[in-house]
Amino acid sequence: MKVLETQNLSKFFDGLKALNRVNIGVEKGSITLVIGPNGSGKTTFINTVSGFYRADEGKVFFEGRDITNKPPYEISKLGIVRTFQIPQPLKKMTVLENLLIAPDGYGESVLNTITGKWMNEEEEIVEKAFKILEFLKIDHLWDSEAQNLSGGQLKLLEVARAMMKDAKLIIMDEPIAGVNPVLSHDMLDRFVELKKMGISFLIVEHRLDIVLKYSDHIYVMANGSVIAEGKEEDILNNPRVVEVYLGASDSEVECGV
Amino acid sequence: MEEVIVTIALWFGFYTIVSLSLNLEYGFAGIPNFGRALAVLMGGVAVGGIFNRILIYAFGVSGDIITASAQIRSMTNDLIASNPVYGVGLLLLCLALAAILGAVTGALFILPSAKLSEDYLAITLLAISEVAFMVCNYNTAIIGGYYGVSTPDVLAFVPGEERMVAFTVVTLLIAFLVYVIVRRLTNSPFGRLLRAMRENESVVEATGKSVMVLRIKTAAIGSALASLAGALYSLYSVNVIATSFSRVEWTFYPFLMLLLGGAGNNRGVVVGTFTFVIVKILLTIYKHEIRTFLHLPFEAVWLEYILFGLLMYFVLLYRPEGLIKERPIFTAPIKKVVAKIRA
Repeated sequence: MKVLETQNLSKFFDGLKALNRVNIGVEKGSITLVIGPNGSGKTTFINTVSGFYRADEGKVFFEGRDITNKPPYEISKLGIVRTFQIPQPLKKMTVLENLLIAPDGYGESVLNTITGKWMNEEEEIVEKAFKILEFLKIDHLWDSEAQNLSGGQLKLLEVARAMMKDAKLIIMDEPIAGVNPVLSHDMLDRFVELKKMGISFLIVEHRLDIVLKYSDHIYVMANGSVIAEGKEEDILNNPRVVEVYLGASDSEVECGV
Repeated sequence: MEEVIVTIALWFGFYTIVSLSLNLEYGFAGIPNFGRALAVLMGGVAVGGIFNRILIYAFGVSGDIITASAQIRSMTNDLIASNPVYGVGLLLLCLALAAILGAVTGALFILPSAKLSEDYLAITLLAISEVAFMVCNYNTAIIGGYYGVSTPDVLAFVPGEERMVAFTVVTLLIAFLVYVIVRRLTNSPFGRLLRAMRENESVVEATGKSVMVLRIKTAAIGSALASLAGALYSLYSVNVIATSFSRVEWTFYPFLMLLLGGAGNNRGVVVGTFTFVIVKILLTIYKHEIRTFLHLPFEAVWLEYILFGLLMYFVLLYRPEGLIKERPIFTAPIKKVVAKIRA
């Protein structure tokens, strides 16, 4: 069963076809990878699916429900959580606080705030946040302001915030860019664990050397269209993919693209 | 001397309420509310426009709002003088009316923020506030326009010479209550969401919360609180007149107190307010002495504007974080869990 499915999803920017009739599906309990050169429309795809951009044509279905052009907070409430390619930390707030804002509906009620009812929930939520921080090995930074974190640590903070929400589908825009390889593998192992619990992942990533073996299904995008899809070996052996992405010339392969 | 202290305490009370309400909206939630004066004016409208009309209707007095209000004042003052419960009841009614009118106005007032980014929103809110001020000033049917309306003295049961002290106590009590409410709101997951909204709206939306709904809630609460100050000020001066709700007094000055004390820090804002009020009251009381002493070629009132304008300038330039910097907020459950982990 597909948890997320797009049908001919298109997005235009002043005539530029950033997304051109894109059909991407994510199986429930899978890790689906989207790869493609810079400017191929991967992030636009994420922004359109999560409601940050309006789709010009086509539809997005989540669990069989049409969610096309719903506002971001409604899509998030349905169980889709996303991270941002460029980390979006709440700079003047602590690392812990960056996680505590994530749970659904938490902190929205003025009445619960005045009566102090939130106190009962908070302890449990804080403990959960610490477990996630410990797993990502940034628990020692819990009380630092997010603006003092390094680029890689900010990436982890994005992932931590996504993990904090009990999502059905987690969409990640380059989660391991700037994260050291050991921790990257740890993180992806954790995703595999979560996957077994029925959580689905849609991941955009360039570090194929690390991420490919964890993926169940791969889509390759170029110039706003899906040019290939399949398993790891299908992709690696597809001449068009090799041409547009995996390296038209030998020199780029050596650079580790 | 005693009078000076009481005056400082009274204005400290009024301004603490307004600056704390602004801290909730601007300091925490990041809403650039350059129209704070509107909510304070609504407190005046609640007393002069609504409360007076209720009394006029109840007593069956005829005539336009200005003359009828004057009649009502003398009638109710006699009643209140003989029965304090009546006065306290009317005071509470005024505060309730002000809070409701303030909340509704605040919620409606923030709606343009759906389409406007921060700087345009600030200008729009300022404009809305100014328009409301003009309408109340020139339309004599609302709160008597430039003639103003009288209001009953809710503390008429207190002897004349102690009235100001009694009113100061009431105001400080309400200000303390407002401090408790704002602290409770900000020192909580709700306050955390407000700060998150100030830092990055996309993140808040991405975690499933509507920024617009949060903004409406914040503006409604903030305006309701600021409105209390307007109502108290009107009841204190037993007179409501639109010109006393100017943007300098109720938008610019509260922003100055907030920035001076430290945006996003409630204690800092109280300290900032206190500092400001002392300087302002002393300037007002000793304006003639200062003028003579400094050989000023103009009224000391202008000196006040110049000084506060410069103060704002230097605070923004050299100490944008204010006297007391914003600090991370650790709620009781956070401290508890951390202690458990460390143990």
